[in-house]
Amino acid sequence: MTTAALPAATAATPLKRRRGSGGPTSTSPAVTRRAQTRLGLLLVAPVMIMTVVFFLFPLGNALYYSVVDFNGINPNPEFVGLANFQEMFLDPEVWHALGNNFIWIIVGTAAPLIIGLLVSVLLWTTRTGSPIYRVIFFLPYVLPGVAIGIVWGWIYDPVSGWLNQALTAIGLGDLTRGWLGDPNIALYAVLATAVWASTGFVIVILLSALRNVDIELVDSAKIDGANPAQRLWYVILPQIMPVFLMVLTLTLVGGFSVFDIIFIMTGGGPAGATNTIGTYAYSQAFELSRIGYGTTLALLITVLSVPFAVFLNRLQRRLSLDGTGA
Amino acid sequence: MTSSTLSRPDTARGPRDRQQRNAPTELRRPRPQFGRHLLLLVLALFTLFPVLLVISTTLKTPEDVRVNPFGFFSTISLQNIVDAWTVGRFSDYLLNSILLTVPSTALVIIFSTMAGYTFARLPFRGRTAMFYLVVLGLLVPFFTYMIPLYFQLRSMGLLDTLAGAVLLLTSTGLSFGTFFMRAFFSDLPMELEQAARVDGASELRIFLSVMLPLARSGIGALTVFTFLGNWNNFLIPLLYLPGGDFRPLTSGLYMFTGGRSLDIGPLAAGTLITILPVIVLFIVLQRQVTQGFLSGAVKG
Repeated sequence: MTTAALPAATAATPLKRRRGSGGPTSTSPAVTRRAQTRLGLLLVAPVMIMTVVFFLFPLGNALYYSVVDFNGINPNPEFVGLANFQEMFLDPEVWHALGNNFIWIIVGTAAPLIIGLLVSVLLWTTRTGSPIYRVIFFLPYVLPGVAIGIVWGWIYDPVSGWLNQALTAIGLGDLTRGWLGDPNIALYAVLATAVWASTGFVIVILLSALRNVDIELVDSAKIDGANPAQRLWYVILPQIMPVFLMVLTLTLVGGFSVFDIIFIMTGGGPAGATNTIGTYAYSQAFELSRIGYGTTLALLITVLSVPFAVFLNRLQRRLSLDGTGA
Repeated sequence: MTSSTLSRPDTARGPRDRQQRNAPTELRRPRPQFGRHLLLLVLALFTLFPVLLVISTTLKTPEDVRVNPFGFFSTISLQNIVDAWTVGRFSDYLLNSILLTVPSTALVIIFSTMAGYTFARLPFRGRTAMFYLVVLGLLVPFFTYMIPLYFQLRSMGLLDTLAGAVLLLTSTGLSFGTFFMRAFFSDLPMELEQAARVDGASELRIFLSVMLPLARSGIGALTVFTFLGNWNNFLIPLLYLPGGDFRPLTSGLYMFTGGRSLDIGPLAAGTLITILPVIVLFIVLQRQVTQGFLSGAVKG
């Protein structure tokens, strides 16, 4: 879930802005241009071959699988038209999973951003120790999702888990439960783990954006009588808005394609309570051998998430180009 | 790294770094910040808690784990690590992780550098279209095409082979790598390149002898987080190495929990073996890691 989520927001940086600034312009001699074309084609060849074979080809196949009834074995699967899509819209589990996706996206984006903003401003305004805190807070972001899922699964364990034991120890024994086994709680328990894992990333990124904030403005707002919340909202936040939106895009798009941590902690259970489209697609395809249907479900995520990413990117880029920040 | 650094923030009065000089003036005045430090300390402890839990459980004796799963270790024992290493096959998993991560990281770096340079500095017809095709990989989630990929690898004879998994780890890293290196090469100054061209250097020579040495820091940053991404990758080994002969740490750890036995001790030890290389790398290179993420993400 870590690096996969990262690049999405940065994808649509304009080529046009660069044109003319990098590489020779059309005034280069024809000999140079020919040499550049030859070398260029040679240098991009490996990436283009890999992209076509291991990305574009399977992506095209995904479109094909979505209109056939394929069980993974049959060499000539039957063409079923839009039946997979029709089933998808009528499948209540899809709507349930999609609802979970949206809860995940909203809570899983809002919580790290709010906590991250507050902690990064706190770190920014605190005199000492911030490099050490920065390392500590960033650490979960580089840990493998499997390890995170396993250790938190163990913290949540109903019998010997740390959470229940700690609750009992401080006299809140009534709150103990099987955190991952309770259909009403499981999704939020897994979400809490995801928030734990991603907040540090937000802190570190925002902290670096805060370095560019104009302190004079913050100070003069204080003299004008702005309270800390007003200073944060009206003075600090607008100045880091492009970076803030970038982090928003990253967590949002990551939220659409959430998979690892749910798969590891609950596998979508209990009884589908923590299913998102990702885990549901996986179980349909690989556990029930419904390859066509599973692929159709996976396509849904792309269709939903790409417009979000593009929109937020444009917004972020416009703000950056306006000179309000980075 | 843990207990010593944890107690430091309250007392450390090291030289001010850039960030502290930038802090609002109101806060340069001495003023009680005990509450802030307490809050940050609690948050830091909360962040570190799962890691500390893994370490303390690993160091317990197997009996200690059984009798007292909640408490900290009373006597240090390495039995859990020995069990995970031998019985739990984590020595094999570690070797497989290296065999998968090192070649795939090297390939991502080489190919991305080549393509990134082209997209930044060698204009030719069709270049923009190619770049957008490559960058499309950043927008489409992996699991959209992971299912067709399974059958594709099977028909190519690459399912359950090291080569297949290495190629997939490489191809999933290329979009970001190319994108990152293009941004990096775009920011390098033009003058050297033109001077070399006037001096009669060939285009290949300009790339190898002039531009590549300048790109060292970008390549370094990309190496670190490509390595982290490949080391931590969960789905590719899980799906495309189903036989288990080449299972790396991540999917090995996942399989280890499959039994759901009460062997928390070896499980903790296996987790520690999985995360220790990442933590060490991160602590040694933390500046490059965070800076790399920043330059890759913010500047773009």
